[in-house]
Amino acid sequence: MKLGTVQNSTAPAEFHPARGPRTGGADDRDEAAVRVEHLSKSYRSNWTLRVTRGLEDLNLEVRRGEVFGYLGPNGAGKTTTLKILTGLLKPTSGQAWLMGEPVHRVSSRRNLGFLPEQPYFYDYLNGLEYLEMVAKLSGLGGADAGRQARHWLGRVGLGARARLVLRKYSKGMLQRLGLAGALVHSPELLILDEPMSGLDPFGRHDVRDLILEQRERGVTVLFSSHILPDVETLCDRVAIVIGGRLERVGTVSELVSEQGGSVEIRCAGAVVIEVPAPWRQALRLNERPGETLFTLSDPRFLQPVLAWMVESRLAIHAVTPQRGALEQLFLATARSATASTAETTEPERRSA
Amino acid sequence: MSALVVAHNTYREAIRDRVLLGILVAGFAVLALTQILKPLALGEGLRLTVDLGLSTITFLGLMVVLLVGAGLVSKEIERRTIYNLLARPLPRAAYLAGKWAGLSAALWCVALALGTGLATLVALMGHAGYVGAIIEAVYLEGLELTVVTAIAVLFSSLSTPVLSALYTAGLFVGGQWCDDLRRLATHFPDAFGRVLTVTADVLPDLSLFNMRTLASNGTPTTLGHLLIASAYALLYCGCALALGAAALESRDFK
Repeated sequence: MKLGTVQNSTAPAEFHPARGPRTGGADDRDEAAVRVEHLSKSYRSNWTLRVTRGLEDLNLEVRRGEVFGYLGPNGAGKTTTLKILTGLLKPTSGQAWLMGEPVHRVSSRRNLGFLPEQPYFYDYLNGLEYLEMVAKLSGLGGADAGRQARHWLGRVGLGARARLVLRKYSKGMLQRLGLAGALVHSPELLILDEPMSGLDPFGRHDVRDLILEQRERGVTVLFSSHILPDVETLCDRVAIVIGGRLERVGTVSELVSEQGGSVEIRCAGAVVIEVPAPWRQALRLNERPGETLFTLSDPRFLQPVLAWMVESRLAIHAVTPQRGALEQLFLATARSATASTAETTEPERRSA
Repeated sequence: MSALVVAHNTYREAIRDRVLLGILVAGFAVLALTQILKPLALGEGLRLTVDLGLSTITFLGLMVVLLVGAGLVSKEIERRTIYNLLARPLPRAAYLAGKWAGLSAALWCVALALGTGLATLVALMGHAGYVGAIIEAVYLEGLELTVVTAIAVLFSSLSTPVLSALYTAGLFVGGQWCDDLRRLATHFPDAFGRVLTVTADVLPDLSLFNMRTLASNGTPTTLGHLLIASAYALLYCGCALALGAAALESRDFK
């Protein structure tokens, strides 16, 4: 079974979705940078006492050294998950570990760098003072904290604004400062909640570079984002969470190929040929000026189709696999999850 | 160590706040006012200066606690700046202790500045002998403000800034009447008397920190009083902060 595959809440506790039947104890957890088991979170309104589910039986594993994208529409439970991991929220049930340490322990955050969604700062501090403070809180000594603060201010392009009070920083500058704050103590694990939000294309490019640089250093990066092309470029694996439930986990290519990517075959000139019956459904033919374009919707037929084309003396110019975009997968997953939720709630409503 | 970092940041926040500057200006203005009012005091100009000067330190210090301290934690939660701190290896109890220590340090600075102004004024009036009692009185007022800050931090971790300010002000007023409550308890039937006694025990006994009358007569207090008041302040702050930490520990930051 693949890592982090979706698991039903009815599965026995000894069985882990990521690894199948558990053989070890705490050692298993140590191998993962982030491990989440049967995590649920509900919120109760103080006024109406209505319970809202934020997360439902979430199981997830982020391996050490990988860049992991956490996707989902607004209100899907992404921020809730990240806040539980960083100790800002307490789970209703289930457990989570960072670098093998349970998240309820303060020490689990020793090697963690966190950038919250739309970070807020102390506007009476300047950039340097802020970074020195967070560096010290993350365990760096006075001189070291100052040195690292100056280094990271320069690294995120704020070196010239080190003494400017934060109330005068623009939104993009604050986002960069937040990133510097997450990185100032050289953590082994980075959790970034919407790190590209509010950034212009230059800022997004810099953040992408920073994430890739951290991956080179062996840092594990878990980040949530709405900007799917960035996720596609950066991530080793992605997870899609919808309505508080984990719907999909895998590498981008695995997930996208599940979508059933097509193959384009370009041949020279106009072709007068009849497509054999077995592939007639899967192979579409499109005449263009000077060339003929075949679109094979099922890549399993590629070898026999190519063999047939060679036999039929067609002049093949190019064979191009057409990969489905992550965006299509994301939208399809969201739609099917919404539809299945509606199906399960409708009979309940009828019986109520 | 991490509590000290939070304390330093809170101190920096308080001294960069215009409220504190305004309070200091108001304090020195009141000291100057005592010299204008002196001729109206019928020969009690010194008593007026010392009494009004010491009361001003307590009153203005209380204003700082209510305006800044009552929102110390709740405003951080509301503005989400608390994420910057608690997502690091910082225990919530250390965070709370740091907030309290930082604001207390700023209040001690206010008390020290105004106390130094008062002592200098009294010495210039030719009553250098009063300075010792004034220093002791300012020290006790500093302790009183430290206790009130701990109460404000406790409420701030439980409630909104406005409600925290109201609760803190209520406990400050109640704390001035602890001795009266105990005395009153003896005049009531057993059950109600016991309720009053327990209330007086739970309220901070702020009369312990009041030596304005002694100071305005130039009479110093005993070392025993200073030690008992210091120990009481430490114990009360410890209890208030422990309660606040327990409340904060169970809180979710949505």
